Amino acid sequence: MIEVKDIYKSFAGKEVLKNVSAVFEQGKTNLIIGQSGSGKTVLLKCIVGLHEVDSGEIWFNNNILFNKLSFKEKKEMRKQIGMLFQGSALFDFANVEDNVRFPLEMFSDMSREEQDERINFCLKRVNIINANKLFPSELSGGMQKRVAIARAIAFSPKYLFCDEPNSGLDPRTSILIDNLIKEITEEYKITTIINTHDMNSVMEIGDKVVFIHEGEKWWEGSKDNILHADNKELNDFVFASKMAKTLKGYVEKSS
Amino acid sequence: MTKVFTKPDKPRLFFKHMMREMFKLGFTSIPIVAIISLFIGAVIALQMALNFDSPLLPKIYIGLATREVLLLEFSSTVIALILAGKVGSNIASEIGSMRITEQIDAMEIMGLNSANYLILPKVVALVIFNPFLTALSSILGIIGGGLLVDITQVIRIVDYINGIQFVFNEFYVFYGIIKMAVFSIIITTIPAFYGYYASGGSLGVGQSSTRSIVASSVFILVFDLILTQLLLQ
Ligand SMILES: Nc1ncnc2c1ncn2[C@@H]1O[C@H](COP(=O)(O)OP(=O)(O)O)[C@@H](O)[C@H]1O
Ligand SMILES: [Mg+2]
Repeated sequence: MIEVKDIYKSFAGKEVLKNVSAVFEQGKTNLIIGQSGSGKTVLLKCIVGLHEVDSGEIWFNNNILFNKLSFKEKKEMRKQIGMLFQGSALFDFANVEDNVRFPLEMFSDMSREEQDERINFCLKRVNIINANKLFPSELSGGMQKRVAIARAIAFSPKYLFCDEPNSGLDPRTSILIDNLIKEITEEYKITTIINTHDMNSVMEIGDKVVFIHEGEKWWEGSKDNILHADNKELNDFVFASKMAKTLKGYVEKSS
Repeated sequence: MTKVFTKPDKPRLFFKHMMREMFKLGFTSIPIVAIISLFIGAVIALQMALNFDSPLLPKIYIGLATREVLLLEFSSTVIALILAGKVGSNIASEIGSMRITEQIDAMEIMGLNSANYLILPKVVALVIFNPFLTALSSILGIIGGGLLVDITQVIRIVDYINGIQFVFNEFYVFYGIIKMAVFSIIITTIPAFYGYYASGGSLGVGQSSTRSIVASSVFILVFDLILTQLLLQ
């Protein structure tokens, strides 16, 4: 479980997050949704400590005040954290297996054979087979995302963070990736936080949904009640597309 | 900065990376250093021969002057300026593109000191390797001058060779190498710094690369003055 309390963050006087509080639950896919530029990435990077918050508290598991840990303590925590970046962020200089090997090689005392075993397990888990020696530039966007997931789970993290995991992917691949993340989350009881602006993902895996608008939390709920929420900004977001508006018309007519 | 100069997480891997960087950034500079040194050595010898054209000056001064120019300034400072362009743009764009594609964030999230991991091997590799380039440059420059003298016969080759050997001060070799070691720190850390803090997409990476080369060139010239003042007075 992760809880953030009153997170405030500005860049050179420009307010990006205005006192955001939320709880993200273990074993569930927690979504942070909102328009582009609403502050999702900044919020995620504040939670994992890539950005320093101006004020507020970030609690991991009720008992660790993450943003106040020393550099060394944070480093210890890092093994429990996996992150999937928007552009995959695979290392260009390494092939598929060495990308997954990277954290194992740097931060464990595993032998080469143990590493290989773990690498193949993770790659198999994300359905990457017979691609160990390919370089990131030789992979499709969807495969890159899978390899990045494999790298993120190399250490069996307790916390998984995904920034727009299906940006740039076609709708079918997006759903596969979404479901893969959900399966892994449930299988290993991970606390997973996912940034997205994709309503398909929300309806697919939105166990818990936090809606951010212009750096503020406007709404929180789940995929089951998001369509009936009484919140104009959220409704504008949810029913932005013509398809959504049309479907909404059908729902209202039939009820 | 202090993040760069700390003990690496895995010393064994550090050594491996350093060797790789030595090859990538150092070894591959040999051809350009060789060509430039041969030609500039020849040009310096020719200039000296044409401009010291006085019966009062012994001809051996031509070889001597060529040697001193190479040892004191060319093989360290000018070569460093050239490497600042070649190596600097490589480092700034490599690290800059890792920054904007979030590869550096990906390292940090694992708990890796990314600045140390990415930058220190490059600095150490070139501080060790570049002095060899300085030595190589001086030797090839002198040979280039010799070839020119031999081909054009502007002076007798014996005079050139005698000049090269005349009142040789070993300290000048040491001085050139010390300078190059310091310049190597400049041409690795400054571009790395610009790359590490690059922002604004591929345009930003290009900008950081250009700026880093300008900045490191200026630093090289300033440190040339300072070191000369310190070492030669
Ligand atoms: N490093 C930064 N420096 C200054 N402003 C930033 C920085 N990162 C993000 N911002 C600003 O914060 C706002 C939110 O950005 P972001 O979190 O990336 O939005 P999104 O919800 O699309 O992920 C944007 O207006 C962006 O310009
Ligand atoms: Mg974003």
